[in-house]
Amino acid sequence: MSFDLSFVRRNLPVFFEGMVVTLELAVLAIVISLVCGLVVTILRLWGPAPLRWLAAAYVELVRNTPVLVQIYFIYFGLAVAGVRVTGFGSALIALAAQNGGYMAEIYRAGIQSISIKQIESAKALGMRLPTILSIVVLPQAFRRVIPPIGNQSILILKDTSIAATVAVAEMTQVGKMLTERTAAAYEVFFTLALLYLALCTLVAALFRLLERRLAFPA
Amino acid sequence: MPMVLISNLWYLGLAALNTVGISAASVVLSAVLGLVVALLHVFGGLAARLFVELYLYIVRGVPLLVLLFTMYYVLPYAGVALGAVEGGILVLGLYFGAFMSEAFRAAILSLPKAQWDAARGLGMRRWLMLRIVIFPQALRIALPPFVNICLMLIKSTSLVSIIGIWELTAAGREVTERTFAAFQIFGGVALIYFCICYSLAQLSRRLEERFRYVH
Repeated sequence: MSFDLSFVRRNLPVFFEGMVVTLELAVLAIVISLVCGLVVTILRLWGPAPLRWLAAAYVELVRNTPVLVQIYFIYFGLAVAGVRVTGFGSALIALAAQNGGYMAEIYRAGIQSISIKQIESAKALGMRLPTILSIVVLPQAFRRVIPPIGNQSILILKDTSIAATVAVAEMTQVGKMLTERTAAAYEVFFTLALLYLALCTLVAALFRLLERRLAFPA
Repeated sequence: MPMVLISNLWYLGLAALNTVGISAASVVLSAVLGLVVALLHVFGGLAARLFVELYLYIVRGVPLLVLLFTMYYVLPYAGVALGAVEGGILVLGLYFGAFMSEAFRAAILSLPKAQWDAARGLGMRRWLMLRIVIFPQALRIALPPFVNICLMLIKSTSLVSIIGIWELTAAGREVTERTFAAFQIFGGVALIYFCICYSLAQLSRRLEERFRYVH
């Protein structure tokens, strides 16, 4: 069986339609998980005791269960309970919830990587916690977490393919449907892999650029 | 009371055994592959290093599900007859082998240069040096990331249900289609995954304490 390049060219618009959905899902999931992770981290580090435990339990729970099971739980579970959530919606909620847990761990590691001596020095200078956080800890922690956030974002982008299981017409689903209709398995999956590689390379480059832009002058 | 979950717990438990089996086989495969790839990456010639870089680039940039579908849809056209379970384990092993190799490589490279120099100064050959100086230290350093990758792998085995392998997630879907108790069943399935992953994470924390060198 030979590789049919004209098939790929003919169907490229179909792949691009899927890519738009993939990108929508990925960008929304990344943004929401960044915000969600921040809230969880604040609660976990400085919240009152019950909220602190709740935040810790949340992180353990979402990180130790598969995102596919979370998607099924939301998609089928809520449907049985009478709430209709679209495939896109349930995939988004699951991806944002799980990666919110991962982002929270990344933030926490970033904040805790700032030497305790700096915080003590800031205290000795008479600063209060909000000031210490805003001008000493967070500006440094923010720069340190950019590379792991980039890595996590690439994982999120790749995980959007799981939305194919609940009939979201993103890139993988589009490819799967094309394969089932045309039996051009080589062409479809080769193209699919190349498109994902291109997207991931792009995201990695964007984060490297961001990292370089924000770096403290040496 | 979650009666539906309780009456199907035995069935889900059997399926969980399959998940554990698939995970164990994939962990072994990916660890062996990861070690070989890491050694090639560190000690290999230019060609080997380029090959390894290409492999890592592909795995880092292509979703696991796409690789599973590729195995499922493309291999039959290529005339390769591979069972779904074998194929699933192979893809999981290849995919997580890349993550493992990065963890092993980082651990090997994190050892101070003085260790290498001292071993070479004692006249050790490469293999002896690796066996009695580098590996015992590097494997301890690699233990936490190794366990993290194992946890990712266990969670990712849920994806093989999509290419028709019967394991915990697939069993959850079966029972749900029969009983419509999606909340209970998928809640229960999530809880079983949680128990497997969480206990493994706790075990590794124990091991880390035990294996820690006294400095």
